[in-house]
Amino acid sequence: MSENKPVVFVIDDNPSVRNALDSLIRSIHLNVKLFGSTEEFLRFKRPDVPGCIVLDVRLPGLSGLDFQREMASSNIDLPVIFITGHGDVPMSVRAIKAGAIEFLTKPFRDQDLLDAIYVGIERDRSRRQTTATVSVLRGHFASLTLRERQIMLGVVSGRPNKQIAAELKLSEVTVKVHRRHVMRKMKAKSFADLVRMADKLQDSTKTA
Amino acid sequence: MKLQSLRAVTTASLLPVVTIALAAGIFVVDTITDLEIAIPAFYTVVVLLAVRFCKKRGVIFVGVGCCALTLLSDLLTANTGASHIGIINTAISLLAIITTTYLALKIESEKVAAYEARSQLAHVVRVTTLGELTASIAHEVNQPLAAAVINGNACMRWLAAEPPNLDEARQAVARLVKDANRASDIIAQVRALTKSSPPEKDWLQINDIILATVLLLESEILQNQVSLRTALSDDAPLVQGGRVQLQQVILNLILNAIEAMNRASEGARELIISSEKNDSKGVLITVQDSGTGLAPANLDRLFSAFYTTKPDGMGMGLAISRSIVEAHGGRIWAIPNSPRGAVFQFILPIGMEP
Repeated sequence: MSENKPVVFVIDDNPSVRNALDSLIRSIHLNVKLFGSTEEFLRFKRPDVPGCIVLDVRLPGLSGLDFQREMASSNIDLPVIFITGHGDVPMSVRAIKAGAIEFLTKPFRDQDLLDAIYVGIERDRSRRQTTATVSVLRGHFASLTLRERQIMLGVVSGRPNKQIAAELKLSEVTVKVHRRHVMRKMKAKSFADLVRMADKLQDSTKTA
Repeated sequence: MKLQSLRAVTTASLLPVVTIALAAGIFVVDTITDLEIAIPAFYTVVVLLAVRFCKKRGVIFVGVGCCALTLLSDLLTANTGASHIGIINTAISLLAIITTTYLALKIESEKVAAYEARSQLAHVVRVTTLGELTASIAHEVNQPLAAAVINGNACMRWLAAEPPNLDEARQAVARLVKDANRASDIIAQVRALTKSSPPEKDWLQINDIILATVLLLESEILQNQVSLRTALSDDAPLVQGGRVQLQQVILNLILNAIEAMNRASEGARELIISSEKNDSKGVLITVQDSGTGLAPANLDRLFSAFYTTKPDGMGMGLAISRSIVEAHGGRIWAIPNSPRGAVFQFILPIGMEP
């Protein structure tokens, strides 16, 4: 299993279905890990690579749908693709509302499943990238002094230096010096860049 | 069922004698005492006893008879001269007898209505069980079919690869064949289950029935994380009976066991199903679980209709099972398992010459 190659986690209690999925997904050159239950999956030490879960709705113990809800509280961000023997509309609505990529009824078209897997892995990859960027930004932001943070907040909300100076009871020159420090410490290339960074930081605190 | 009807037979043979004796006694006392003493009021007791063993028409006959006896003894006592009090007493007694007869008849007809409602309910439960069974079968058949389709697709992809991966393709086809055979096996079982049971009894190997039922419930067993062990005796003799009905009994017992183990939160979930030759009397089938077990006080009520320990149970499963086993000339009972759980057993007599 090469590093950084995406992994598809298959959780289905039926061994025949599990083994068939294993073969199908390996045929498109993806790594596969098979689990008979969600507990087994939780015990497994997941590699730090992009991936997604192919999850059966009907499972021993916790059902697939319940597990999807539990995932958020266990800090598992992997995208989910549901497969089920007899899905009804309310079930699929619930799954999709909770963020599932796809809800497929067995037997399904192989291409539908593989497409959903690609979408899931892509989504996970981009989420991982965003998380990585945000954690870098957080590091930069943490290196700012309290004063610099106040000034950054004023700057990105579009207030002129003069107004910021008046609000913080500072001279305009001091504000300009602080502002330069902010740009350097945040590694912002331009004013617009700094605004985007501030947005990203704000989004991440909202969702966290 | 058998026990109840036995009790009914003994009361049926004794009660009429007692009732007639009582009526005769009242008549004699009424005749020799003065008119002013309202002895005929005791005829109400006769009517109430009659309800226990008579049908509607019989009760009316007894009521009318009691009224006639009251008037007759009045006539026989009349030589002392009819007093006003005596006539009023007689009228009150007649009224009491008529009222009692009317109320008794009404209670009787309500009992009949309740009985009918109960048998309708039993039918509904059977139909519901059938619905659940159908869903279970659909799931059971769909799983191997889905697996077969995925394996077929995988095989085509391995073949289309550059270069084709023949080994993977071969393995996929091997799994596909296995899946398809499994689906076919399940359908064969369903056919056996739904085949309309002919009135004449078939010769059956009980082990086949047990295994067929287990196959139907496999996903239920797996789903509930139950470990199943079967100990089926090779020399279990053939029994005569209805395959579907006996399958229904085993199905009920297994489903009950699974539910009991679901309600027990901890400990191993072990289901043991065994069959063995029981002296010369027949085949003994045992379904043993490690569930919540049975309260000793409830052992004798367990098989009564509408008795249930489940929060949403209807109390029909074991009652139906018992009537089926008894219709086959057998017996069913339950004992506590040790250290916990329950053991359900039933005996089916060996059939005559095959």
